[in-house]
Amino acid sequence: MTMRTLRYREALREAMIEEMERDDRVFLMGEEVGHYQGAYKVTEGMLEKFGERRVIDTPIAEGGFAGIGIGAAMVGLRPIIEFMTWNFGAIAFDQILNNAAKIRQMSGGQFSCPIVFRGPNGSARQVGSQHSHSMEHFFATVPGLKVIAPAFPIDAKGLMKTAIRDENPVLVMESETLYSVKGEVPDGLDALPLGVAQIVRPGTDVTIVAYSRMTHVALEAAVALEKEGISVEIVDLRSLRPLDEDTIVQSVRKTHRCVVVHEGWPYGGVGAEVSDRVQRLAFDFLDAPILRVTTRDVPMPYNAKLEQYVLPQADRVIATVKRVHNR
Amino acid sequence: MAKILEMPKLSPTMEEGVLSAWHKKEGDAVAVDDLLAEVETDKATMEFRAFDKGTLLKILVAAGSNVKLGQPVAILGTPGEDLTQISPARVANAPPSPAVDPGPKTEALPAASSYAHDLPASMLPTPALHAREAAAPRVSTASPLDRTEHEPEGLPERQGDRVFASPFVRKQARELGVDLRGATGTGQGGRVVVGDLSALTGSAQASHAMVRAAPSTMNTGSAPAAPRLAEPEVRPLSMMRKTIARRLTESKTTVPHFYLTLDVDVEALVALRKKLNVELAQGEGATKLSVNDLLVKACALALVRVPEANAQFSPEAILVHRRVDISVAVAVPEGLVTPVVRDADKKSVATVAREIRDLAARAKAKKLKPEEMQDGTFSISNLGMFGIDAFSAVINPPEGAILAVGRVRDEPVVKDGQIVAGKRMSVTLSCDHRVIDGAVGAAFLAELRNLLERPVRILTG
Repeated sequence: MTMRTLRYREALREAMIEEMERDDRVFLMGEEVGHYQGAYKVTEGMLEKFGERRVIDTPIAEGGFAGIGIGAAMVGLRPIIEFMTWNFGAIAFDQILNNAAKIRQMSGGQFSCPIVFRGPNGSARQVGSQHSHSMEHFFATVPGLKVIAPAFPIDAKGLMKTAIRDENPVLVMESETLYSVKGEVPDGLDALPLGVAQIVRPGTDVTIVAYSRMTHVALEAAVALEKEGISVEIVDLRSLRPLDEDTIVQSVRKTHRCVVVHEGWPYGGVGAEVSDRVQRLAFDFLDAPILRVTTRDVPMPYNAKLEQYVLPQADRVIATVKRVHNR
Repeated sequence: MAKILEMPKLSPTMEEGVLSAWHKKEGDAVAVDDLLAEVETDKATMEFRAFDKGTLLKILVAAGSNVKLGQPVAILGTPGEDLTQISPARVANAPPSPAVDPGPKTEALPAASSYAHDLPASMLPTPALHAREAAAPRVSTASPLDRTEHEPEGLPERQGDRVFASPFVRKQARELGVDLRGATGTGQGGRVVVGDLSALTGSAQASHAMVRAAPSTMNTGSAPAAPRLAEPEVRPLSMMRKTIARRLTESKTTVPHFYLTLDVDVEALVALRKKLNVELAQGEGATKLSVNDLLVKACALALVRVPEANAQFSPEAILVHRRVDISVAVAVPEGLVTPVVRDADKKSVATVAREIRDLAARAKAKKLKPEEMQDGTFSISNLGMFGIDAFSAVINPPEGAILAVGRVRDEPVVKDGQIVAGKRMSVTLSCDHRVIDGAVGAAFLAELRNLLERPVRILTG
């Protein structure tokens, strides 16, 4: 199989283009996705390729176009709704929570809602407290939604295709700071299974569970820790809901120690959920408390140094791994 | 400007210390070099002296606290100074005072705001949300670490049978039939973690108390319950005891030991010692020589002649020492220490004897400096004075060998085909096989026996 090096944003774009070519019911809608070529250039060239019927620029009204997308999905189309960032997805929270996530169950299966909501999530660089939210924690608590957060271009492409083909609402958590990350993607990559985590670095001493940009931070920490003789296994979740507890638990049964790394606040959230699964399903295999490395429990500071202080960094991951490793 | 005083590094291997006593109290004036506190390190009780003058404004750790290197212990400044100017994050790194129960149960902080302990106040969203932090003095309530990322620094005091062991250790212990009662581990707050298991199961071979077969009452429900056993007296580990445990476990589990024993005819040695002591008793500042003093000097000379026995292992190479620094094991009430007689090969027997006397006396008074217990090249452990005939010692890493010496025995020996009264002393050399092979060890012992049996050579070098 030939491999090509793609940027994360190109991988997402290829997935959307291929799925739109494959299925005429798929269309793209959002702010600046068409004529402006995408706020982060993810959708560059798509308007020229598919025309205004299938690449639709919307007004600045997330509640409105999210609702229109849900309605379109209910009557047979397969919309991709781009939020310029997931921070603005908060305005559409009611549509996603009360309509997209509920309609299939409330209608007794008469309607389904095959829709994708996507956009950059988490911190960028100095975009302030209101534009640095990690929204996945809010959405991942909702039954009826699927939430994915790929870390690498190959997963961004393969999982985006799966999301578009899924009969349920799937939320794709991208990252502004990952859009330019390059990675190998095989030619003709098909949809990847959703809900399967991946061990991106095997190890024996401590399991780090991470996703999205934090998988890269965990990898950086693991390289440094290896030099100190600590072997770290990294589980890249890829999907936050459904959560691949088998892969996590198998890893912790082997290493006996678990650290969860994610952006977003420590109260509740994906890290707390992973901690619950591990303590329940691998209790007798734990040799240390499960510790989390998260965004600190404050609104994101604008000041660049404070922002870096508040975000999870490799040094904090290293210190925490050493702690569970009793070093 | 107030200054935070941190736990200094008082020995090269120190990572933490017990601040055993404060010699100043809050409000006391402090001059440069004043004794602030005493710190029990892994090696000795050290003095913590002031580098600056000022007034001791605040003591951050109570006497008896275990303190990590670099952790704030006190604030020095001028009276009336506003301590809120001091970075709360730094002061917050002080460990909780042992007087305050660090257990999360007694900390009635609201869960949400307890996340904010290591953050400057300016970053908190609103004062109202965190009124408790704003009102409470950070110095006394602060947790040492971000609570969202770390468990509490210490575990609660052990109570009765309750052992702190990780779930994985408990499972392993169940499967191996190891009784964890009384066990203390190397994890946070003494938690038994998986790394401690090998030591527990290892010692279990020797100590029947550690391993018990599944009680027969498990199978026969009608059998009477086993009588309740008396609780052991719990003696917490001192820093020295922890160091001994760690280093000797490391030695016996990672260093491949083998042992060479021979008997030395010490008739001439005992006679020489007697003669020398008669001579010395007439001099000024009399020093009495012991057999051990002569032995230390003899070992030093033997090591010069067989330098391969004066060596240590390193991952890339064997390091053959160009100095002969002999560690002498000294029993002290808490355990033992190994002060070093430097360049023992170059010193007279009388000097060696005086140094050993001085080191032993200061070891018993816990006044040895850490550097006086480091960087030996060879060890001697003598249990002769305790009436021991012969024994094998554990190598004192990173040294390559240790000599275990027994008592001088009066016994019948064969001399020129006749059974006569003689004097014998057993010596056993424990060798690190990575460095010293059997033949080298034997060559060293042969040299040593030669010297001990013709002891005038010990004096002449």
